[in-house]
Amino acid sequence: MEAYKIYSLTSAVLFVIGIGGIFIARHFIKKIIATIIMGGGVFLCFVSFAERDALNFADPVPHAMVITGIVVAVASAAFALALARRIYQLTGEESFTKDQ
Amino acid sequence: MSVLIDGILAILAIYLALQCLMAQRLTQTVFLFFAFGLALALAWIRLGAVDVAIAEAAIAAGFLGVLLLDALRDFSPTFSQKQKNPETGQNPPGKDDNKPPFLPRLALGFGLGLFLLISLEAIWKTPEGGGLTAASEAFLPESGVEHPVTAVLLNFRAYDTWLEIGVILMGLLAIFVVGGIRLYSRPFTAAQDPLLRQVILFFTPVLFLFGAFLLYFGKSGPGGAFQAAVLWGAIGILLHLGGRPVFSVMPRWLLQLILTMGLGFFLLLGFLLMATGNALFEYPPAYSGIMILIVETLAAVSIAAALTAIFANVNLMKEDPNQTESTT
Repeated sequence: MEAYKIYSLTSAVLFVIGIGGIFIARHFIKKIIATIIMGGGVFLCFVSFAERDALNFADPVPHAMVITGIVVAVASAAFALALARRIYQLTGEESFTKDQ
Repeated sequence: MSVLIDGILAILAIYLALQCLMAQRLTQTVFLFFAFGLALALAWIRLGAVDVAIAEAAIAAGFLGVLLLDALRDFSPTFSQKQKNPETGQNPPGKDDNKPPFLPRLALGFGLGLFLLISLEAIWKTPEGGGLTAASEAFLPESGVEHPVTAVLLNFRAYDTWLEIGVILMGLLAIFVVGGIRLYSRPFTAAQDPLLRQVILFFTPVLFLFGAFLLYFGKSGPGGAFQAAVLWGAIGILLHLGGRPVFSVMPRWLLQLILTMGLGFFLLLGFLLMATGNALFEYPPAYSGIMILIVETLAAVSIAAALTAIFANVNLMKEDPNQTESTT
């Protein structure tokens, strides 16, 4: 079994963990982290296919797209974090549900 | 043997992701997130994607982890208040992972399981198309750099990279909108902690040199503008934490110039290339090496400044909330 197969199967599991986390986690920070884990699954899928399509070197296009994607994901997560902190400052709430 | 390593690494990543989302305390969540990022970085090294590994370890685990840690200053007190329930000491079981009615949980579990099967099948059956390896290998000599990933990032798909620099700037602007621009308005006092001062004294030159090395090495090996930018941004964050924010000593127009010059120069170069009869971002092969180096350097400085400003602005959100009211 080649390495890329292991990691491409892992990527699906990580993606599903991320989606489940978005639904189940309550706290803003956990929801943000869940989106990052979801993104990590997608990136892992990309890179494992890059490894599969390797000739003399691994396919560089998915690598470049993943680097771009990581930076964009972090920028949006930073924005989400700023929003979460602002919501907390204004309302004192740290999740979308009020029943706690 | 390698299957064993890969399998353990894959299980570790999945375990850390699960633990990260199921941890009771937010501090646990954030530190497990660090660990998850580093496990993912190891997985990328196993897959031969060293550039991605550096970017993941530096940006996703490092920079975002620092932002999350900083956010804990806001959230942690109330969270521990909730944990200190009347039943003394005993952590209330499952305070954070909620207990919704049985049917929605069953539906969610079923849906996720189905989704997992579908995505596994999709991944398993992806046809072997060969990708773009052959094309990028064929045009690598014309790109002006020797490392294929850098060639794709800054030459073949320079438009993506240009937009990405714009996204970081947009993120910074959005954070300004949320938190209010009140960077560096108040006087800062230098940190008194001797350990922190020594760490800053020691790490500033090391980080700067290592960032410059990664930037220049990017043309022939793993490295490049983004990896260098995070290291330089780390200098800014360290100085900010040490009470000497870099932007407080420079005038406002200079900060704005530094933040926008990566995006601006990239676009200007693209337009100049169009004026001389090429397509947007189509470098003439004779000059592409030096053009890529200039663009990368300016972009790295811009991104480093933007990351520092993002951290500083989010970091200052905690302090004097009354001032926020007045300025927003």
